[in-house]
Amino acid sequence: MLGRNSRIGIGIALAAGCAAIAFGQFISNTPSHALPKTPPVAYLYPEQVHLPAGKASEVALHFRIVEGMHINSHTPHDDFLIPTTFSIPTGAGVRLDSAKYPAGNDISLPSAPNMKLNVYSGEFVVQTHMVATPGNHLIKGTLHFQACNMSQCLPPQTITAAIDVVAK
Amino acid sequence: MKRNTIVSFAVLFILATFAWAGWANWEYRKQAAARSAAMAASGADLAADTSSGTLVFHSPLTGKPAPDFTLDDLNGKAVSLANYRGKAVMINFWATWCTPCQIETPWIVELRDKYASQGFEVLGVSSQGDDATPKDKTLWDKDKAAIAKFAQQKKLPYPVLLGGDGISKPYGGVEDLPTSFFVNRKGVVVATEMGLTSESDLEADIQKALKD
Repeated sequence: MLGRNSRIGIGIALAAGCAAIAFGQFISNTPSHALPKTPPVAYLYPEQVHLPAGKASEVALHFRIVEGMHINSHTPHDDFLIPTTFSIPTGAGVRLDSAKYPAGNDISLPSAPNMKLNVYSGEFVVQTHMVATPGNHLIKGTLHFQACNMSQCLPPQTITAAIDVVAK
Repeated sequence: MKRNTIVSFAVLFILATFAWAGWANWEYRKQAAARSAAMAASGADLAADTSSGTLVFHSPLTGKPAPDFTLDDLNGKAVSLANYRGKAVMINFWATWCTPCQIETPWIVELRDKYASQGFEVLGVSSQGDDATPKDKTLWDKDKAAIAKFAQQKKLPYPVLLGGDGISKPYGGVEDLPTSFFVNRKGVVVATEMGLTSESDLEADIQKALKD
């Protein structure tokens, strides 16, 4: 058994450790106006699909955009803006036959109420048709997009959608 | 008795630290939530808050000499920041695909025309975000064509410089656009803006650069 002094010492040490963690958590919350450096869009699912080989088959790809941000739709209203596009690299054993993108929502920034932007926010789904050769293929589809919030924009980015395609 | 006193003080100190950390955390989260709500709800509100000093972006470069750079303009002429010593300069990082940049561009043109006679100039540094260099001719030419089209459409009266990604690092790794640095006549950064603010905020920064 530990002595009384030892128990008190351990108790103080534990409490001091907790206090240090609490302090550390506070000072780590450094205010910043920079946008997050992690990709603002994440691929959700499916992780695996089973398709009939050689036949164009529907695969719905689900993505999520972080709260407070938006990305251009596939058909933005302005030629200067970068559309959201999905593609599959060639030679992956799976070909992208077609991709149907959701209609975006029209929004405008408070500083320019007449300028309409066609964007995705929250979750969105790209309806694709894929054609696969027989076998198992781990494909790395890519979603190319450009994200902004209501006052700032991030450079165009590409994220990977890894999907295990089982074709028989 | 002595030991009990020491233990009591230690416990009190730890409890006080907990209380302080909790209070400070709560205060910070409350302010962060207010900032997020303002940004999500209204850029106008954000601009208003900015004027009141709540949302001013402080770059580590503020108060320091602006890093010199040399970039080509749309005509292929090399332009250096050093050439503008003695003038107040707004270094505006922007991109053709950036909607907030499109919104603030007419403000910048108007302010440039208003203050040019006092020794003010704008350098529009295009940062397309693809790290294109003249060596990558296809990408460089594609970017250049889009930038030239934008400059022509907006009738930009100031130098538009290409390859801004290459000078982003000395300016703190500019990724979020628009971002502007205001440099006084001595070449020192006196103000910075990250994101879309308001014409009055930009004008205040220009006046500061002209005055300092």
